[in-house]
Amino acid sequence: MSYREYVIAAYLVFAAMLAWDYVVPRVRIRQLIRAARLLAARRAAVQPDPAGELPR
Amino acid sequence: MNRLLRWFHQLGSPPYFDRFAARWAPWCHGIGLLVMAWGIWQGLFVAPADYQQGDSFRILYIHVPAAWMSLAVFALMALYAAIALVWRIKLCEILAMACAPIGAAFTVVTLATGSIWGKPMWGTWWDWDPRLTSELILLFLYLGVIGLYHAIDDRRAAARAAGLLAIVGVALLPVIRYSVDWWNSLHQGQTISLMGQSKMDASMLPPLWAMVVGTHVWFAGSLLARARADNLWREAGKDWVRKLGEAAR
Repeated sequence: MSYREYVIAAYLVFAAMLAWDYVVPRVRIRQLIRAARLLAARRAAVQPDPAGELPR
Repeated sequence: MNRLLRWFHQLGSPPYFDRFAARWAPWCHGIGLLVMAWGIWQGLFVAPADYQQGDSFRILYIHVPAAWMSLAVFALMALYAAIALVWRIKLCEILAMACAPIGAAFTVVTLATGSIWGKPMWGTWWDWDPRLTSELILLFLYLGVIGLYHAIDDRRAAARAAGLLAIVGVALLPVIRYSVDWWNSLHQGQTISLMGQSKMDASMLPPLWAMVVGTHVWFAGSLLARARADNLWREAGKDWVRKLGEAAR
C-alpha cells in the first residue's frame, strides 16, 4: 500500500475520535447516576425517625 | 391524538426521554459501528487505488463523511436552537447543546485527515485556502457554542445564548459549501454528488455511502447519549433521578 503511514494516521485519528465520543457521555452518565445514588442515601440517612423523637 | 404526535409530546418529558435514550443509544452506536466497519474494510482493502493519488485517496472514506457531518450537525444544532428559542422546548435546548461536541469532533477529524492527506498530495500540512480556513472557523464556532454554554450558570439562559450563536453561525455553512466555487481554491471542487453524477468511479462509491450512513447512525447514538447526560445533570435532585440512582445500586 502506498502512503501507508498517512492512511494509518488518518484512520487512527478517526478511531480515537469515535472512542472519545463513545466513552465521554457514558462516564458522565455513570457519574451522575452515582451522584443521584449518594444523594438518595444521604437523604435516607438524615430523615427523622418518628420513634426516636426527643423527649420534651 | 395521533400516536406519533403523542410519542413526540411524551419525548419532552425528562424521565421518558431518559428511558428512550438509554434504550436506543447503544443500538445506534452498534449499528453505526457495524456499517462503518464494513465501509472501512471495503475502503481499505476492496476499492481500487486511485491512478494518480495511489492509496492516499482512501483517507477520503473518513474525510468526506466527517466533513459532511461537521456541516449537517451544525445545521441541526441551529435548527434545535431555533425551535428552543421560539417554543421554549427544554429538550430541544438539550439536543442543540449535545450536538456541539459531536460536531466539533467531526470537524477536528475533517481538518486532521485533510491535513494528513494534504502533506503527500499538496506537499504541505496546511494552507490558508478558503475551504480549509472556513472549516477552521466552523471549529471555532463549535468551540464558541460549547464555551458559552458552560460559561453561564443558569442552564436555560446558557442554552439560549449558545443557541443564538449557533443560529448566527449558520451563515458560515454556504460559505464552506461553495468556497471552492466562489474563490480560487487549492481544495478540489465537488467530486461526489447526492443527486447527479459523481466524478468518482462507481467501484469506489459503495464504501463511501456506507461510511456516510454509518456516521449518521453513530451520530444519532452520540446525540442520545450526550443529551441523556445533560438531561440527568439538569434534573439532578428530582425524584425520578433519585429513583434511577436507587435502581442502579
